[in-house]
Amino acid sequence: MRAVRWGLGSSVLVAVPWIVAAALPGQQRYVLHVLIFTALYGALALSYDLVVGHVGSLSLAHPAFFGLGAYTAALLATEGRWPFAAALPAGIAVAAAVALAVGVPMFRLTEHSFAMGTLGFAIVTQVVATNWVDFTHGPLCVTGIPKPQMGALRIATLPAFYWMGLAALALVALLYRGLTTFRLGRAFHAVRDNETLAAAAAIDPLRYRMLAFVIGGAVAGGVGALYVSYVGVLCPGELTVGLSVNLLVMIFLGGVGSLRGVLVGAAAFTALPEILRMAPTWRMVIYGLLLLVIVIRVPDGLEGLIRRGSALGRRPSRAR
Amino acid sequence: MSDLVEQLVHGLTLGSLYAMVATGLALMFGVVRLINFAHGEFYMLGGYAFWYAYAELGLPYPVAGLVAVAAMAVFGLAYERGVIRAILTRTWHVQLIATLATSITLTNLAILVFGTQPKEVPTRLSAAILDVGGVRMAWQRLLVLVAAVAIFAGLEWFVAHAKLGKAMRAMSQNREACAVVGVDVQQVALATFGISAGLAGAAAALVSPLFNIFPDVGALLTLKAFAAVIVGGFGYVRGAIAAAFLIGIAESLAAGYVSYAYKDAIAFVVMVAVLLVRPQGLFGRRIGI
Repeated sequence: MRAVRWGLGSSVLVAVPWIVAAALPGQQRYVLHVLIFTALYGALALSYDLVVGHVGSLSLAHPAFFGLGAYTAALLATEGRWPFAAALPAGIAVAAAVALAVGVPMFRLTEHSFAMGTLGFAIVTQVVATNWVDFTHGPLCVTGIPKPQMGALRIATLPAFYWMGLAALALVALLYRGLTTFRLGRAFHAVRDNETLAAAAAIDPLRYRMLAFVIGGAVAGGVGALYVSYVGVLCPGELTVGLSVNLLVMIFLGGVGSLRGVLVGAAAFTALPEILRMAPTWRMVIYGLLLLVIVIRVPDGLEGLIRRGSALGRRPSRAR
Repeated sequence: MSDLVEQLVHGLTLGSLYAMVATGLALMFGVVRLINFAHGEFYMLGGYAFWYAYAELGLPYPVAGLVAVAAMAVFGLAYERGVIRAILTRTWHVQLIATLATSITLTNLAILVFGTQPKEVPTRLSAAILDVGGVRMAWQRLLVLVAAVAIFAGLEWFVAHAKLGKAMRAMSQNREACAVVGVDVQQVALATFGISAGLAGAAAALVSPLFNIFPDVGALLTLKAFAAVIVGGFGYVRGAIAAAFLIGIAESLAAGYVSYAYKDAIAFVVMVAVLLVRPQGLFGRRIGI
């Protein structure tokens, strides 16, 4: 039964371009564009939740890792003429290496200080991206980033990018699932819930925090590389603190530390601006207020509502 | 030589600004154990309040400055009532995200209301140049430094001798014990937010004639002030003030002799360098405002 549901669900997801073409013939480009962003944002939000939701380190450095992957891939593809199959892993590797190097001093900080330190790192990265004009083109942006080509496979159309985004999201979701269940997941949660107790049980908090931080950073770098290959332009403005706020809204709206919650949050968040249809500044005001209300009133997000909703339908089970 | 002295004077101005903002952060952390990520936005709002009173209403400078301080103190009280009280007993995650959300909301509201174009508010003192043996600086810089020193001296006296100041110090040491002996902890927390926000307003009124006012000054300012709080030893006000001046001078020297474009990275580099050597901060100790 479960396998049938999964098979059906994934075939529907794969068939989306045709479904959209049949159902909304005039608007398929626009709808696919929104769906591609949803998939990429979903993957990015999952990588962020690995750090925030599972080891409990409130990092604000994620835009920097996203940007490092994006800039590495973009510059290698334009200036270095590297093929996509090499530029993408390079983006991932650079983001992971920097995450490792930054993580060492950052994890000396705890709680607020860690958040502030990572925020500082994100701001420095953006300052460098804006001012190192010779290398990053600064505010002139990196333009003309080629579409991905791997052998005979060329990703250039909207449906192709949609499948690329979907594949990336599926891969990241599998990775997320694999890392957060089993023994490793339990170690992550032990570190998050009680650091002292975890250390007493021979679970080294620093090692697991570092692992989640580096993998999260690497995935963010990969998403950044995919993002620039789709959009074709990369400006320093993509790396702002605003991206951290977006990610926080997504994971808190959906439900921290839950695969379904984060995906629901990312989907709702990407759909929201399309529904709101207003100037970006107003949008940020609303995101800010939304985030404020969510963390105060419904800290477990939509996932909590879904759980409580489905628990109502069932007979009361044994107390947990 | 006079060039170096001028950079140092600039550094002292910056240091005064960072110190006034950092003091507010450290006071809040000391009394309610909470980091206010929106504190830089308090400075930004104070700047607009000052601009409105001085440039739009045409009030004389000292009056406009006091208006900014009073407006921000009231804002701080409202913020404590509206946002902080709801998150005071929650985990630090929730507190951090809630204050960060406030900061984003305020920045973008300011863009909507005032636009992104910086507001310039030159005063007679910021235009008048003082020349001391070849070293030239605006009189306003002298005023900033003198006023900052007066404010810190006043605060020192207040925390040591006034009843409310003593209560704040006591709360920073043991909140439960304060409640037990009859200190109204909620009122003390409320007053702390009023004072901290008022300090941000004072900083804005003093410094705005030299630096322009624009909606997103806050994020970097919070970061630098927080760097000062960390470097100075968490929640220790005197340490934060000393560290703020250190960061201000380092930043101004780096802007003059290394690279102007990268000056904003300096506070962060100083913070990381200090933390690698002394994780508890330069003047780190356990408790106390």
